[in-house]
Amino acid sequence: MKIIVDISDAKCTNKEQDQIITYSLGSCIGVAVYDSSAKIGGMLHYQLPDSRADVEKSKKNPTMYADTGMAYLVKKMIAMGAEKKRMKVKIAGGAQMMNDAKVFQIGKRNYAAIRQVLWKNGMFIDAESIGGAFARTLSMNMADGRVCVKAQGSVTDL
Amino acid sequence: MAMNILIVDDSAVMRAVIKRTIGMADIQYDKLYEAGSGKEALKTMRDEEINLVLADINMPEMTGLEMTERMFACPSVKDIPVIIVSTEASTARIQDLKSKGVKGYVHKPFTPEQIRDEVLKVIGACNA
Repeated sequence: MKIIVDISDAKCTNKEQDQIITYSLGSCIGVAVYDSSAKIGGMLHYQLPDSRADVEKSKKNPTMYADTGMAYLVKKMIAMGAEKKRMKVKIAGGAQMMNDAKVFQIGKRNYAAIRQVLWKNGMFIDAESIGGAFARTLSMNMADGRVCVKAQGSVTDL
Repeated sequence: MAMNILIVDDSAVMRAVIKRTIGMADIQYDKLYEAGSGKEALKTMRDEEINLVLADINMPEMTGLEMTERMFACPSVKDIPVIIVSTEASTARIQDLKSKGVKGYVHKPFTPEQIRDEVLKVIGACNA
């Protein structure tokens, strides 16, 4: 089954036949997390770096922000049986899109935010496709944890 | 066998960052020592059994360069693998360091993954 992760959304699964996918990653960042031993995977698509910008909104929708979004996803995966130590993290997005006011540098700030969040959690980034000025699609096959990024018409393994 | 690692940097924050990265990376170590200068590091190497050194270049009292030169001239510590972690950007200078015996190099500012990968590469090469 194809599980679609919307913008400001996170989903996880433990079904080997599933594929998790998120579209339209511009300045947003998609985070694919996979525990190969437990065969549990999850994906987050967050829009903004820091939940402190709007605490109320982050309570209603934690997956909008890097910090609350990752906490939400990791917690959900652990509840399913995954272990933080075994989680492999791959990220994509953080572009500087043409319609972004350059002054905000959302893509760059989103990237810095996920680095900080993962550092605090003691987690590495195992692979990344970050920056540029183009949209990306991020997908993960649950059978083997293979993560692919589609951008500018081509698909590459991450 | 677990090893003893020595982190040499005059910045306590930098030492803490490297220390945390090594912990995160599941690198098996027995003891982790810290030194704030090349001089202090050489003393630690004399007093303790050290199996891997991560060292900055620009430090007060004694630079990382002088420290490695002294190490390579001393039979009891010359075989300890050294990874330089520095802002040094000159490829020629890095090559020179490697030709003298430095096993690895990580450019500052670094990501935690770069430190992890370089440490694993050097440990792997030493155990091969």
